[in-house]
Amino acid sequence: MQRRNPAQRRYLLRFMPLMVSYALILIAVSGAQRHGDLAGATLGMMSVLPAIPLIGVMIVMGLYLREERDEFVRNRLVMAMLGGTGILLSATTVWGFLENNGVVGHPPTFLAFPFWCGAMGISQCAMALRDRMAGSAE
Amino acid sequence: MNNRLRVLRAERGWSQGDLAERLEVSRQSVNAIETGRYDPSLPLAFRIAELFDLTIEGVFVSPSRKDIA
Repeated sequence: MQRRNPAQRRYLLRFMPLMVSYALILIAVSGAQRHGDLAGATLGMMSVLPAIPLIGVMIVMGLYLREERDEFVRNRLVMAMLGGTGILLSATTVWGFLENNGVVGHPPTFLAFPFWCGAMGISQCAMALRDRMAGSAE
Repeated sequence: MNNRLRVLRAERGWSQGDLAERLEVSRQSVNAIETGRYDPSLPLAFRIAELFDLTIEGVFVSPSRKDIA
């Protein structure tokens, strides 16, 4: 297993607290919605709260991309992000037409970012598999 | 891009990890360059050439000259 470079370590140090705060905020907001009768501006604010750490994750990913000094690793990440974007746009385009004709319902749009992350992961797996098949032995 | 990286590395008895450490890149970067799956930027190509005390042409085969040779 290869050691993480400083940019990757910084990424993890920024990423972990954001994910922990995301989980805590989600639990707190769900609890408040169950027990209280939130309305108006309070409800609006509470609804937006879980999005803040996720937006933070997007910023942290951008910072990592800027700080990564290994150009090959950076290139791979950009290609994976492009792949993820392509998959997300394709899926939402198809879904949109299906929805337009009443075949499927409206999906929760906050899932776009987790879906994009998953699609990016699929792209990374596909690239790793292609490398393995091309033979990258020392 | 074809290159002589594997040969040059072997002449010095370096593993891909050794070369990666000297270039301050990941081992997978060295592997990708060596196998021609990734073309390094000009600054990295210079760093590689300088590490072996060669010119860039001494390490990498020019894609335009490959067909002539």
